Amino acid sequence: MRRRAGLMAGTAAVTVLTGALGACAPSKKAAESGSGGGAELRIATTTDVVNFNPLIGNSRTDYWLTNLMYPHLLTVGNDGSKRPSLATKWGYTNPTTGFYEIRGDMKWSDGTPLTASDVAYTLNAVKKDKPSGTLYGQLANFSSAKAVSPTRVELKLSKPDATVIPEVGFWGNVVPEHVFGKAGSVAKFANNANWVSAGPFRLTKVAKGQSYTLERVTPYPFAPGGRPTVSRIVYKVYPDVNTEILALKNGDVDAIANALPPAQVQPLKKAAGITVEEVPGLGYAHLAYNMDKKPLDNVKVRQALSHAVDYDAIRKVVLQGQAVSTGSSPIMPVLKQFHDPSLQEYTFDPAMARKLLQDAGYTADGSGKFPLSFRMIYSLQDPVTAQWATLVRDDAAKAGITIKPQGLERNTYLAKTDAGDYDIYAGNFAIMDDPATNMTLTYLPKGIINYSHVDASDLSTLVTKAQATTDVNEQKKLVQAAAKLVHDQVYDNVMYTQNLYVAHRSNWTGFVVKPSELLSIVDPQSLANVKSSS
Amino acid sequence: MTSLIESTAGTADAADVADRPAAAKATWDAFRRNPLGILAMVLLALLIVVALVAPLLASYPRGHGTAILRPPSAAHWFGTDNLGRDVFAEVVYGTRSSMLVAAGATALAIVIGVTVAVCSAYFRWVDGVMGVLVDLFLSLPVLPLMILVAALVGPSLQTIVLVLAFFSWPEVSRVVRSQALAVVRLPYVDAARLATGSPLWIIRKHLLPAVAPVIAVSVVLTASRAVLSAAGLAFLGLGDPNSWSWGRILFEAQQSGAMQEAWWTTLFPSLAILALVVAATLLSIAYNDARDPRTRKD
Amino acid sequence: MPPLARFALRRVLRGVVTIWFAVTVTFLMLRLLPGDPALAVANPNMTRETRQALLHQYGLDQSLAVQYGKYLWQLLHGNLGVSFSQSVPVTTALMDRLPWTLLLTLSALVVTIVIGVPLGVLAASRRGFWDRAVQLSGVVGQSLFVPSIGIFLLYLLGLKLRWFPIGGAYTENTYGIAWYGSVLRHLVLPCLSLVLVQLGSYVLTLRSTLIDALGEDYCTLARANGLGERKVLWKHALRNALLPTTTLVGLQLGFVVGGAVLTETIYAYPGIGRGIYEAVTQLDFPVLQGAFVLLSATVIVANLLTDLAYGLLDPRVRTA
Repeated sequence: MRRRAGLMAGTAAVTVLTGALGACAPSKKAAESGSGGGAELRIATTTDVVNFNPLIGNSRTDYWLTNLMYPHLLTVGNDGSKRPSLATKWGYTNPTTGFYEIRGDMKWSDGTPLTASDVAYTLNAVKKDKPSGTLYGQLANFSSAKAVSPTRVELKLSKPDATVIPEVGFWGNVVPEHVFGKAGSVAKFANNANWVSAGPFRLTKVAKGQSYTLERVTPYPFAPGGRPTVSRIVYKVYPDVNTEILALKNGDVDAIANALPPAQVQPLKKAAGITVEEVPGLGYAHLAYNMDKKPLDNVKVRQALSHAVDYDAIRKVVLQGQAVSTGSSPIMPVLKQFHDPSLQEYTFDPAMARKLLQDAGYTADGSGKFPLSFRMIYSLQDPVTAQWATLVRDDAAKAGITIKPQGLERNTYLAKTDAGDYDIYAGNFAIMDDPATNMTLTYLPKGIINYSHVDASDLSTLVTKAQATTDVNEQKKLVQAAAKLVHDQVYDNVMYTQNLYVAHRSNWTGFVVKPSELLSIVDPQSLANVKSSS
Repeated sequence: MTSLIESTAGTADAADVADRPAAAKATWDAFRRNPLGILAMVLLALLIVVALVAPLLASYPRGHGTAILRPPSAAHWFGTDNLGRDVFAEVVYGTRSSMLVAAGATALAIVIGVTVAVCSAYFRWVDGVMGVLVDLFLSLPVLPLMILVAALVGPSLQTIVLVLAFFSWPEVSRVVRSQALAVVRLPYVDAARLATGSPLWIIRKHLLPAVAPVIAVSVVLTASRAVLSAAGLAFLGLGDPNSWSWGRILFEAQQSGAMQEAWWTTLFPSLAILALVVAATLLSIAYNDARDPRTRKD
Repeated sequence: MPPLARFALRRVLRGVVTIWFAVTVTFLMLRLLPGDPALAVANPNMTRETRQALLHQYGLDQSLAVQYGKYLWQLLHGNLGVSFSQSVPVTTALMDRLPWTLLLTLSALVVTIVIGVPLGVLAASRRGFWDRAVQLSGVVGQSLFVPSIGIFLLYLLGLKLRWFPIGGAYTENTYGIAWYGSVLRHLVLPCLSLVLVQLGSYVLTLRSTLIDALGEDYCTLARANGLGERKVLWKHALRNALLPTTTLVGLQLGFVVGGAVLTETIYAYPGIGRGIYEAVTQLDFPVLQGAFVLLSATVIVANLLTDLAYGLLDPRVRTA
């Protein structure tokens, strides 16, 4: 009797709960009934959306999702060169004035036209409110923007800077002035309801931890006939990459947005019903030797360390051959217009490393060990780096150098990076599309990602000149000279560019592949053109 | 029996049960007749041996191999992982650090937990404060807090041991305290109180031996829970990345997406966890049953 | 004051103290251990000014005492604050997740009890083979490592046999009855894993208390009165043996709600355990504090319900 009562109470509780869920259970609305056919594309991602405001968001999923609603002025080619998107023409009228000419045929989904004043509003608001996204960092030398006509916006710079127009155009999302303008500070605006989109899709439903549903928006000029081919995109969250892959194999999702773990590329290429696409990398992985810490200020020690890493093995085993050497240069081969093929990668040569250390005045003890010990930090949330970190330790041991890898939770890693609390920093950058811009960030003394804390006047002069030069050939010469310095003096040890692989069900075709994991096959243009054959 | 459990879990100070030889013998006789208990003992002994002689069984897994994610074969009994390392060697060396973490965390938790419990039982005024504190601790959500602390402090062997101990002692304290309270009320303790003024002597001579069986069970249960928690933390990326533990093998299998395809990278470390936890739990159950005259009958 | 009112008052007081303790522990841990929320939220490339602006926005540039006072004051007014990373109220962030965790843990609890009680009775009444078999399977169950068993179940029952979907809590864009159906189908595997790992502790507790109860005088008396062993077992022994098991339900429920993080991760289930883990990775202080308030409240409510159940089960408490 009593037991049954308890059981009934339990069942009742579950029923009530299901009912409560049911209260928020979806009911079909007329507007969502798929306006005029077209399939639904389900894409898996490993993380939730944190921010729906593209000016704040930083996570991959934030970027993928908001990109489908808030257009970029420029996009990028496989070689890192900038291509038109919302902007059709761009450049400088004089060293401190830049401009974008934008398309006149784009509209926000509520019917308001997208004009140059939206662009000017976005840039000025970001400069004023300092939101934590990527864009604010690009605006260091930007003063103000003004819409001089509905299709032309002009940017005033505080000093000559050739990197502002291409980089702001590529990184910045344009947001609707008539929506964001009412919200006060763009740094605090959550933008978590009633979205307005100028992309191919508009977010309509959010289920945290579960899925994000976007519906088609017409007209969209980059889709065939102005109409995106699928009626609906659903991003589904799979925190574990294993479950994610199982869901793809099972057909519960149609594509995976995240790059596949290197060891899974071959097995998935062989799997029936699954297509794997190669996505060119636009970034690099590197070891930065903290020059504030003795004896890493000694070039011989840095060179010895560079000779004590088996780069080939890392690329072959950890990355399964899916990576390209950069010749120990920060200008990777993928940036064809800037790359300098004459720079050669440091060879893995423990004997050479030992000789360099002896030249620097160190003597090895009886067991062949030098009195040198370095602490190397890396993020445990970055599986590829976490794997090669131990290889770097083992390789260095062969040259008699002790490296102590310190794997950290991402936040601790960022905090230690920020405080300069490391001897060696191991990590990677997803997109290093423009050498002049990147070198100002990585090699100028106050650069925010200058992880080797390099402060060399000859390097600084070259980089500063390159940043101010709008003449492409002149800029090329300058950045190549800077790259040679970085290579020879080991101001940075750049190891490889990783090419990425993403997978989708084979019945889907028409994906447009763009470089880097951020654009990949989930860029707006790609998703506006995909077709299902079944 | 008591001494065996104590020494295996690595705690010092085997309780003095010499004054109860008859009871100990009866317990042992009953224990011997329980096949599950014997099985558990053998399994646990086997794991300890593996941990001790690891270098004789396999060479330390380091660097990388050329055969990646190969299924079990004669050359690699448990197959290879995503860097071509031998999974068998990883599991063997994982036994070491997994047991070390469990032993360290347990030792700490037991020392704190028993001290608090015994003092609470003996000194009334301590009980007021500590009782509330233990209750409060027990109502904290343990796993989320462990995740939080491990993430903030930074994953290392010491962190894991401290975190596990910090969140395990209240449970030990709760169990031991209730037993100790019962003992404190017994007439012979009162008699001892009158005979000597030293509480320390009474605690050592009467209280500790009386609660020793409960402590023994606590040791085993805390250790087995620590193994699972440590593996869980490691799986979330909060284990020590520089030493091989079972949790780390699973974490690397998860990160490289090997879990869903290469079953051997998951199965063997999971089996090792299972073996250790099952052995420890069965041992404590069998010991409890053997100690209890009511269950000893059959 | 009537005893019931005094009892209720004491329970409420204890509940408040428990919540205060959880809040304080979390609050201090977050601020005294290393970790900078501004770094976690923002782009690593951000400038110093952005970072200062963020810290100011979060109120983290104030002294510890001021922050603590402000937080408690807010809490007294039922305000859990605004999430650092998502810029939405903490209540919203948590309430998105909580229903799913409750659905998962409660349904797992019901299934566990439905299976666990007969198993415990079986083990206690048929000593020997059945007893050992139940003990062994219970122990094995609670020693399983959740992610491993999860991937195995997904692979076998999801991918190979195609009985259940892989990941999530329901199928998007289904409506009405079909939606409930999809919720149920998505619930089966995560629920099954939770049942597997928690069944053991219930069965083992029930078994040992039943064995104790069967040896008690009132059972002997019932037997002497000519009552059949079955009746003694189910009518007399079980009712008393259920008391400690009920306590276990109360104790475990709180832990299960927060501890389902591994299950929720593997099954991509949108519950609160996963939400807490994400808040840790983003160092989202307000969400973490709010989550711990919520979890302690769950424990308190679960214990309260347990006490009520105690009253139903134990005639002595009822008449008192």
